[in-house]
Amino acid sequence: MMRSRMFYLSERWFRLLQHLYPPDFRDEMGNAMVEAYLDRVRDALKDGGTMPLVALWVRALIDSLRNGAAERVRPAAAWRRAGAWGRDVEIVRRRLARSPIFAATTIGTLTIGLGMFAVVYTAVQKVLIDPMPYKDPGDLYYVWRDYGPIADLQRGSLAGTDILEMQKPNAVIEDAAGLQPFLGGIFALREGAEPMEIAVTRTSPNLFDLLGVAPALGRSFAPDEIGRAREQVMVLTHHLWTRLGADAGIVGANVRLQGRQFTVIGVLPPDFTFVRNEAAASPQRVDAYIPLTVNLAEPDRRGGYAGLIRARRGASPGAVAAAVDLVGRAIDARDFNSRGLKLYSVGLKADVISRIRPALVVLGAAGLVLVFMLMLNLASVLIARSAQREHEVAVSRALGANTIAIIRSTLLEGGLLGLAGGALGALAAIWGARALVALAPLDLPRREAIAIDLSIAATVIAVGVLLGALAAAPPAVWAARTSLSSLLAGSAVRGGGGEGRLRRGLIVAQMALSLVLLSSGALVMRSFERLLRADPGFQPDGVFTVRVRCPPEFFPQMSDVIAFQDRVQRALAAIPGVIGASAASALPLTANALQTTITIPGAPGNTGDAEQDKVLADMIAVRANYVEVMDMRLIAGRTFTEFRQNDVTEAMIDTAIARRFFPDGNAIGATIRLGAQSLTIIGVFNQARLYDVHADGRPQILVRAELGSRPLFYVMRTTREPHSLLPEVQSAVHRIDPRVAVGDPRAMDDIVQASLSPQAIGGALISAFAVGALLLAAMGLFGVVSGSVTRRRHELAIRLALGAGHGRVLRLVLKEGALLVMAGLLIGAPGIYIANRMIRGLLVGVSPSDPLTLLAAALGLLLVTMVTCYVPARRALRIEPAQLLRHE
Amino acid sequence: MGVDRDREIDKRMPLRRVEFHILLSLASGERHGYGIIQDIEARGETSVPDVGTMYRALARMVETGLIEAAARRPASDRGDERRNYYRITSAGMRVARAEARRLELLTRAARLGGLLPKEVK
Repeated sequence: MMRSRMFYLSERWFRLLQHLYPPDFRDEMGNAMVEAYLDRVRDALKDGGTMPLVALWVRALIDSLRNGAAERVRPAAAWRRAGAWGRDVEIVRRRLARSPIFAATTIGTLTIGLGMFAVVYTAVQKVLIDPMPYKDPGDLYYVWRDYGPIADLQRGSLAGTDILEMQKPNAVIEDAAGLQPFLGGIFALREGAEPMEIAVTRTSPNLFDLLGVAPALGRSFAPDEIGRAREQVMVLTHHLWTRLGADAGIVGANVRLQGRQFTVIGVLPPDFTFVRNEAAASPQRVDAYIPLTVNLAEPDRRGGYAGLIRARRGASPGAVAAAVDLVGRAIDARDFNSRGLKLYSVGLKADVISRIRPALVVLGAAGLVLVFMLMLNLASVLIARSAQREHEVAVSRALGANTIAIIRSTLLEGGLLGLAGGALGALAAIWGARALVALAPLDLPRREAIAIDLSIAATVIAVGVLLGALAAAPPAVWAARTSLSSLLAGSAVRGGGGEGRLRRGLIVAQMALSLVLLSSGALVMRSFERLLRADPGFQPDGVFTVRVRCPPEFFPQMSDVIAFQDRVQRALAAIPGVIGASAASALPLTANALQTTITIPGAPGNTGDAEQDKVLADMIAVRANYVEVMDMRLIAGRTFTEFRQNDVTEAMIDTAIARRFFPDGNAIGATIRLGAQSLTIIGVFNQARLYDVHADGRPQILVRAELGSRPLFYVMRTTREPHSLLPEVQSAVHRIDPRVAVGDPRAMDDIVQASLSPQAIGGALISAFAVGALLLAAMGLFGVVSGSVTRRRHELAIRLALGAGHGRVLRLVLKEGALLVMAGLLIGAPGIYIANRMIRGLLVGVSPSDPLTLLAAALGLLLVTMVTCYVPARRALRIEPAQLLRHE
Repeated sequence: MGVDRDREIDKRMPLRRVEFHILLSLASGERHGYGIIQDIEARGETSVPDVGTMYRALARMVETGLIEAAARRPASDRGDERRNYYRITSAGMRVARAEARRLELLTRAARLGGLLPKEVK
């Protein structure tokens, strides 16, 4: 009695232990193993005593723990060991070839998605992550002036003396260089040759040593090559050198810049670019470098140089900041009576990319979300596909197919699809990146570096493979669990299998993510639309602009300049189709005006505090009729006319200055002081915005160009296509003076577009991501709803047979889709909040929680998805109950 | 073909101890798992494999084709169809012989090298 009880308990115990083994092993070996243990129990009981029995139980426990665990991890080991990869690849290849539409749509989706990801990834990698192409780029910093309480200028350029101060021996700062804002120049290969406009930067001779860049040809500047009183030397960029015919013999040649003789001493390597940021003027490509012509030590309190320093190797940013601050204090004490001027340093790269960074970060995040959505989508497609193959899998498993082989071929299928999508995506991104560069603003930092290279292509392909394999994991696990018995059980009740729940979960996740992307995209687009509708303060359509210089080498006297400019203005106005012509020292939206401090003594708005009654304003020198030609708005008084009184210097102020100094509105006739100069206010105008389309910048004053502006941008309002004026403009200027070149031909519309292009590109990319996400989600939903109709056709047929109307059945199916969408919207809503914190910086004139936009995005998503539900749901209407039920 | 077969055999060697014992037992006839364990005990092996270790080894060896499952049948002592019987395959036989030769060569080398006492003739 006792013995049989012991025997029974032992068998229970051993059966329990069998659960430590994986199910398939248990199925195969379980009974035999229990039997073997029981044989041992018999032996033990024969010997008598419970102790050996207990020892046996414990030993069986240890045995099962050890071998059960080993058997469970065996699939991983077997995976590595088994060598049938070639066969598996062949199976998957055939399987895909048998369903070309599935393969094509899946790979197509992946190609587009991964291609977009690749473009964004390239931009992020090249602009944000890759180091700048200089020696130890982490040690390079820009230095700026923060005028603090002295003036409203937090990012002012440096004075020459600041640069000298930083060049003094210092424990942290190794060297410093000053660069002057870009100057254009009229360049000619030799005396009398066809003149051309080039962009020239003046720099301290040590710039290239400081950057650690050696010229490709010739040499760079020697330390003493500075100032006017010596031979003038020039270093060409590779770009200009190529434009001039790429002749290596140019080193040592004499060329002309503004009529003066320069010797070319070197040519920079092709990959050298130096992007100065926008603080002083809008950055642009440089064609040539010449040393500074002035002595940095000349006392000059106005700013004028961009300061670049190299820190000693290993100096931390904190140490650099402290050292720069110390120099700043010395300068503040020496030049500003310690009124609070500060110097601060910004890492070269951080400084250059500061404007573009937020947009790129958002784009990068959107790219990641898109990749994630691609993965979810692929997962749901693959699950649907393996659901179709349910019978095949179950039967092959019943016939003894290896679980590992099934898992492996499913994962391989995902991985191969991802590989193909990644490779094609990387290929597509080669053109995508080119398109992006072509659309990108000229001043996009490191624009030239944006191109797909091998490491980026490899990363994109790896992302594709990983995405594919991860997407294939749920269907692989699910397929591995399929067995004939579960299949039979499933078909008996005609319900959905476990795959249905998994797919619906994936749909909800996709809905949530696409809601986030869609709402971000909608906000960015809405902000862009605000920008497009913003009134910049002038009318850009039909205005053509060119730059014409009057270098002192050609026009020594100001009277010559004025005579020349008068003739040019008249000649341009006389071109057929030109309604009016004028000129200005700085065009709107180009951010390159000079700044000046103004006071209006005796104005009613003055506070009495001398410091507070100074205003830093952008000063734009214009010729007669400028306000009319640009179609700016005159608020009071009059504009500059052709007729000039020699005894009165006229000025116009913008509404900001007028409000500040003349709250009661009577500004006309008052006197502005501009340093030593006194000007009479003749008019008040609305700003033609100089910086951003959507918001006023610094206060502006307009003065007459005749006060001393040499290079001018001529503007012509025309009824013709603006660019078609160029040949006539060129010949008109050439007739007046053949030495002078016409530069920078642009339509004002192009300038407006260029100033909007960061937002345009960001908006376009984010919208493309949002639309892509919406399409992916819709595709997934379509698949689920149509699968559900197929699966539920018996149920629906029975409902119809029992008298339910077609509308009722349709609603039933639609409700299923709507529930998924609503669940997605609910889950996605908090995501909007997180995303909106990220895009806040990109939005102009739109609150990140703008309820209308968010509601529109949600409704749009709902609409699109309900339409996608409706199409497959209609199939439910075509069910013929009698026929269908008879067939089964 | 011959070369292929040799390579096949080489790939499986050296055998784990439990695998060699299994092949050894099955070489003299069909056995079930516990029968093999009893054989091993009878051979005076110091550490007898546990039931789990035995059956896992059996499962692997069926997969690799060294042994195969025989028809289930009642044990001679009791009427129980739950036991799995196994028999050696020709590949298994070749591998077992090759392994035995390998061990023999190693043992001989050990004797020549003085690690083991010289064989007493």
